[in-house]
Amino acid sequence: MTGFLAAIGRGTARWLGRVGLLARFAFEAFASIGTLPGAGRRVAARVLLNQLRFTALEAVGLIILLSGVLSYLTISSTIAQLDKVGASELIGKLMVVAIVRELGPLLTAIAVVGRSGTAITAELATNTVLGEVRALKGMGIDPYHYLVLPRIFGCVVSVITLMVLFDVIALLGGYLAAGLFAGMSGARYLGIVLANLTTQDVVLTVFKGLLFGAVIGIIPAYEGLTVRRGPTEIPQAVIRGTVHSLGMIFVLAAIIVGVLVR
Amino acid sequence: MTPLLAFHEVGVSRAARTTMSSLPVVSTEPDTMLSLEVAPHQTVAVLGDETSGVDALGGLALGLERPLTGRVLTLGTEIATLERSVQLAFRRRVGYLPASDGLLQNLTLRDNIRLPLRFGSDFRPREIEGRVDVIVAQLRLTRVADLRPAQANAEDRRRAALARALAFDPELVVLEEPFDGLTDRAAAELLEAARGGETAEGARRTVFLTGPDLPALLRPRVDRTVRMARGRVEEVR
Repeated sequence: MTGFLAAIGRGTARWLGRVGLLARFAFEAFASIGTLPGAGRRVAARVLLNQLRFTALEAVGLIILLSGVLSYLTISSTIAQLDKVGASELIGKLMVVAIVRELGPLLTAIAVVGRSGTAITAELATNTVLGEVRALKGMGIDPYHYLVLPRIFGCVVSVITLMVLFDVIALLGGYLAAGLFAGMSGARYLGIVLANLTTQDVVLTVFKGLLFGAVIGIIPAYEGLTVRRGPTEIPQAVIRGTVHSLGMIFVLAAIIVGVLVR
Repeated sequence: MTPLLAFHEVGVSRAARTTMSSLPVVSTEPDTMLSLEVAPHQTVAVLGDETSGVDALGGLALGLERPLTGRVLTLGTEIATLERSVQLAFRRRVGYLPASDGLLQNLTLRDNIRLPLRFGSDFRPREIEGRVDVIVAQLRLTRVADLRPAQANAEDRRRAALARALAFDPELVVLEEPFDGLTDRAAAELLEAARGGETAEGARRTVFLTGPDLPALLRPRVDRTVRMARGRVEEVR
């Protein structure tokens, strides 16, 4: 029994140690903003633009596909049931609660983790293994400035933008599906949706984008930069980065629903 | 004359490396104690195999790692004890060629040379371009400057890494395994570029280099050679 408890204790201590190191990494990254040299800002801004291209612009097609298919599936499979019980008005509530508030942010974040989180870990782990990070520090360039901050801010801006795009496409998809499957007029559909969409939903979407984007920037970067044993550890780092980011995003989503959404 | 680089009773161990957050990953006992001073205009080589801990000296000189015991003074300052941002700014005063070149793979050789100047100086873009053009020509990289590191050969990569180290025209240059895999001729050219020509006092720049061995052709051009073996340090020349 004592051995069992000791094993739990050791596991918990290890986990807390990792969380502590991750928190320290995030703190140091944000604290480094204050020491970014003027000339370095221009270079970091260029890296940020590249990050936005990879993370946001090149993901637009995937987000449109995901969002369009999700809204089509949701509307087409529920509208007939709602009609039978005379509750087709609930389609607006469904779109706002299920898609705009919950599934939109979650699916967008999952897509960005899959596309960019994995790329960030693999790229930074390769930078570390090839001695590029050490060389940057050796020539007076802070890896937080050149590698980490542009990726964190790139992910935050990208996730917020893609979430808004996801929601807009989902609502448009719902508009088409409602017309096709329930013969609902566009004006009526729009009226129902707008009646159910509150300022809180919009604020929550942006807030989630901020949180999820930061998670996708920080955790994969941390996993990439803490590779020690060489190239064979890169796939493991990518897996850790992906799993930990997804885990954190789901936990945060649950906390937000529990604490902020009444 | 005040040494530009000084190791005072420095405990060296091969396993001592740090994380991004400067937290020691492995805490070990020192294998070798080193005391060494590098005077201005001198070229000093510390040689030893991978078990000797010689590969840790470059990082210690740059303050990338803290010594297990003792102090390392670079240009009179203990870099490892400075506050992070001051530490980074200070390192721009020292040229550094890491063992693995450390060239960023997603940039061309020219962009790699340009990077420290763009990031850490207030030079105008035209001044930076002028300075990069001169260094590129000096290191005979003009033909390959627009290639990425993976497209260039080992010699050109090493030349580009040295060019990057010399971008700020530093007083002191730290070279880790600079001649590994190079022909004697290429190694001699590289050392001459690092030394920056001759003055009445010796080389224009002070050069501290580490590695497993020195090509025979270069031995006469090095002012002091120290050999480290596990637990032992001896002056060879």
